Amino acid sequence: MTDTPTEQPPVMNTRSVVGLAACAVIALVGIFLIPTLQEPSGGLNVRFWTMAALELLAMGGVVYFVLNLHEEPE
Amino acid sequence: MDPIALQAGYDLLGDGRPETLWLGIGTLLMLIGTFYFIVKGWGVTDKEAREYYSITILVPGIASAAYLSMFFGIGLTEVTVAGEVLDIYYARYADWLFTTPLLLLDLALLAKVDRVSIGTLVGVDALMIVTGLIGALSHTPLARYSWWLFSTICMIVVLYFLATSLRAAAKERGPEVASTFNTLTALVLVLWTAYPILWIIGTEGAGVVGLGIETLLFMVLDVTAKVGFGFILLRSRAILGDTEAPEPSAGAEASAAD
Repeated sequence: MTDTPTEQPPVMNTRSVVGLAACAVIALVGIFLIPTLQEPSGGLNVRFWTMAALELLAMGGVVYFVLNLHEEPE
Repeated sequence: MDPIALQAGYDLLGDGRPETLWLGIGTLLMLIGTFYFIVKGWGVTDKEAREYYSITILVPGIASAAYLSMFFGIGLTEVTVAGEVLDIYYARYADWLFTTPLLLLDLALLAKVDRVSIGTLVGVDALMIVTGLIGALSHTPLARYSWWLFSTICMIVVLYFLATSLRAAAKERGPEVASTFNTLTALVLVLWTAYPILWIIGTEGAGVVGLGIETLLFMVLDVTAKVGFGFILLRSRAILGDTEAPEPSAGAEASAAD
């Protein structure tokens, strides 16, 4: 990452901002979804893996979108 | 030692869970931290600072939701271990799975390491939490302790990586960054080491400590590791980019952080 001498303020990448918001929603869904997934036939593992997958997805998304939060100058 | 003698708390909801006192306090403290970081970061224009604020706001924000779910008993399940039924607050693991990699991302951005290093660090951390969750849901003591050991080894790898590679990278970025990085890494080393110890002596392990005390201690660790971490990071001038002039909000108090 190199800085050019131009003094223009960094431009936020709108897609990344929206992505961060979406990841926050996914993380919240992961936390609150489990009670709604209760199944009579031993669905414990399925529910917890669903939660873990959603949290991992949200976390991975945050990492990606933070690393691409700004438009790269041409 | 009788675990009941080490119980503590107050049953706020009247559902037989005295630990709701600590879960309620945890929710409030995480919310306060979230709003404090939002207010502090409002209008920040520095490129690097924006990245730190984005991460540091999300961490206590999601943790407050996890604490709220545990407070209302949503993030709670029962696991039978050797004929005994244990209450497991699994929402902790959802919280940790999302937030602990992001705390490491903060440190990686501070040290300015490459994306492969970030991916490795985040991946091992995620493995640490997932194996901890498997341990928490296991039905035999042998399986539980085995997964705990696996998870703890992953944690040691993460902490070693922080204390060596990332520390060296942070040192190259100058004294301001090195100082902030060392403070945060020391905080992480101490607090994160306490988690597996608390797990093994708590209700999910040997049961020496009751659920009330365990919940209290996890709450203190969580709040310090997330809100305390963010407070130190965002007060530091080290989070500003190399070319950016210091802003009043971040630069004025920098000397206090040294």
